[in-house]
Amino acid sequence: MSERRALDLYRVMRLIRDFEDRVEQLHRTGRLRGSFHSSVGQESSAAGICANLKPADVVTSTHRGHGHALAKGVPPRLIMAELFAKGAGTSGGRGGSMHLHHRESGFLGQNAIVGGGMPWAAGAAWARRHLGSDRDIGVSFVGDGAFGQGVFYETFRLAALWHSPCLFVCENNELAHSMPSTALVGEPGSIAAAVAGLGIRATYVDGRDVMEVFDVAKALIANVRNGEPAFLECKVFRVKAHSLSDPDYRYREQDAGEQWLSANDPLRILRERLDAEHGTELDKIDNDVTAEIAAAVAWAESQEEPDRASVEDSSLC
Amino acid sequence: MADLKYAEAVRAALRDEMRADSGVVLFGEEIGKLGGVFTVTQGLQAEFGEDRVLDAPISEAAMIGWAVGAATEGLKPVVEIMFMDFVTVAMDQIVNAASKLAFMSGYQYQVPLVVRMPYGGGTYHGPQHSQSLETWFAHVPGLAVYCPSTSSDAYWLLRLAIQNPEPVIFLESKALYFNESGPISERPDDRQALKCRLVRKGSHVTVVTSGRMVSRCEAAAATLSSSGIECEILDVRSLWPLDMETIAESVERTGKLAIVHEAVEFCGWGSEVAAWIAQNRMFHLDGPVTRIGSARSPIGFSKVLEDATIPTVERIEATISDLAAF
Repeated sequence: MSERRALDLYRVMRLIRDFEDRVEQLHRTGRLRGSFHSSVGQESSAAGICANLKPADVVTSTHRGHGHALAKGVPPRLIMAELFAKGAGTSGGRGGSMHLHHRESGFLGQNAIVGGGMPWAAGAAWARRHLGSDRDIGVSFVGDGAFGQGVFYETFRLAALWHSPCLFVCENNELAHSMPSTALVGEPGSIAAAVAGLGIRATYVDGRDVMEVFDVAKALIANVRNGEPAFLECKVFRVKAHSLSDPDYRYREQDAGEQWLSANDPLRILRERLDAEHGTELDKIDNDVTAEIAAAVAWAESQEEPDRASVEDSSLC
Repeated sequence: MADLKYAEAVRAALRDEMRADSGVVLFGEEIGKLGGVFTVTQGLQAEFGEDRVLDAPISEAAMIGWAVGAATEGLKPVVEIMFMDFVTVAMDQIVNAASKLAFMSGYQYQVPLVVRMPYGGGTYHGPQHSQSLETWFAHVPGLAVYCPSTSSDAYWLLRLAIQNPEPVIFLESKALYFNESGPISERPDDRQALKCRLVRKGSHVTVVTSGRMVSRCEAAAATLSSSGIECEILDVRSLWPLDMETIAESVERTGKLAIVHEAVEFCGWGSEVAAWIAQNRMFHLDGPVTRIGSARSPIGFSKVLEDATIPTVERIEATISDLAAF
């Protein structure tokens, strides 16, 4: 992997981490209202996979999707404006944190119903081929909770039968809200094994190393671009509670997230690998990201509320 | 054009839209070689190929989700749900995805999707293959619900549905597929196509109905006419948008309103029509707004049980007769 690539991955992971931390702070202090699901601990999946994509490729995501949107190139200030429920947000304040969509960036976007984005990505990618594109693909991110959904299985078989160039990425963060994936499925790798049993090329990767995620995804995506679906189980960790208002201390140790980060933080692992030769560049990335997020918050907060009149009239005809 | 059976009219609409627009694709179970269990898609795979007429596995949820994704890319998917009852396993993708994606994306994406659903009784398929669940869809913002009762309307409303940039639930009465036949009219004006169809003029009672209940209302009206009661029958072609204007105008003249549908009467769409008229035309009413719908019971396999559930000509006639005498 080139050093330029590694630095890019660091930049995207840093952007996601700082963005999520800032959202948490804004929520805690009451400036953001609503439900938010942090992807801290899962940055390597979004960054490592999306670094293999073109702007035209179509990505779908989950309720925990800020990181996917950022990694696919949706401008942070537009996301932040949506989180502030402003008219200038990606969806004009209609969607919020669980409904980021951005056509220009190839971000078909989030579906907050678990597993629901899978057939969207498969169908959109199939449509691209149908309409004559020979290289565009779809990528659908889901969590380990999707293993419990019927549409998970249905989509794999449909994608195989109808030859959709779609990569399905299951981010195994160990918890479907409070249900451990070890209880639902088994040890990490079990999801990939189950999907392989459905006739889909399936791989497992440890998300602590973003460079490995990138390389594994690159190999899979090369096949996907040739017109067949594939699956990647990426082992990550949900550092924060299910949502920012979820009392997760009731089902796991209160400092589980901090414990995991102290030993496994993918961002720190990458930084330590690059620090000796690129310390100055990494510092600059950190500073740039800090400034970009500060600017995004300032801009978003200054935007207008949505227009009430945009709620459609409920008359009968 | 020669008369077409209702099933043939649906097929002709699919064929003509597919010829006119290469973006129209069909997904469904057994719609390819078999041509659909009600013959609607017969010959379409042979004409348009396996790339445009796709036989799906029994995976309604993934199939509709797939169609939503394809629609965001500019295709115009038409999905067949073999029996309306089976849509229950795909409700998430209709109610949470198709109907909402345009809105929740701030209109960056559109979902020009049609979901065709054979519905209702009359073919004696029993409780899980005979329901009329259309009110569910009329209740969901973001969905249009078309319900033709003639061959001509089946043809033109399906063409309109396919060209509609928003998702449309398209109801096809199983009982009408082979029993209803007629000529296809000239292309109606798009603004008029979804308005109520005046089936029969009358001055005593406004009868609002749809689907296969239209012919039952006509039969009841013929008998009532011989005893001096003249019904004005309006065929609702679309539950959303709903043409209340035509219904209200008729009620202003007759002063009496009956709504007849195959859906369960309790919380059926007739209740919405009744409430709207009661709220907005109260001083024009000369009698109680009357709903005639199915009993709140599953549809039995036996004809005796089905007839005890779904409104019959006799029940419609007797109920309207009472209303007229009020």
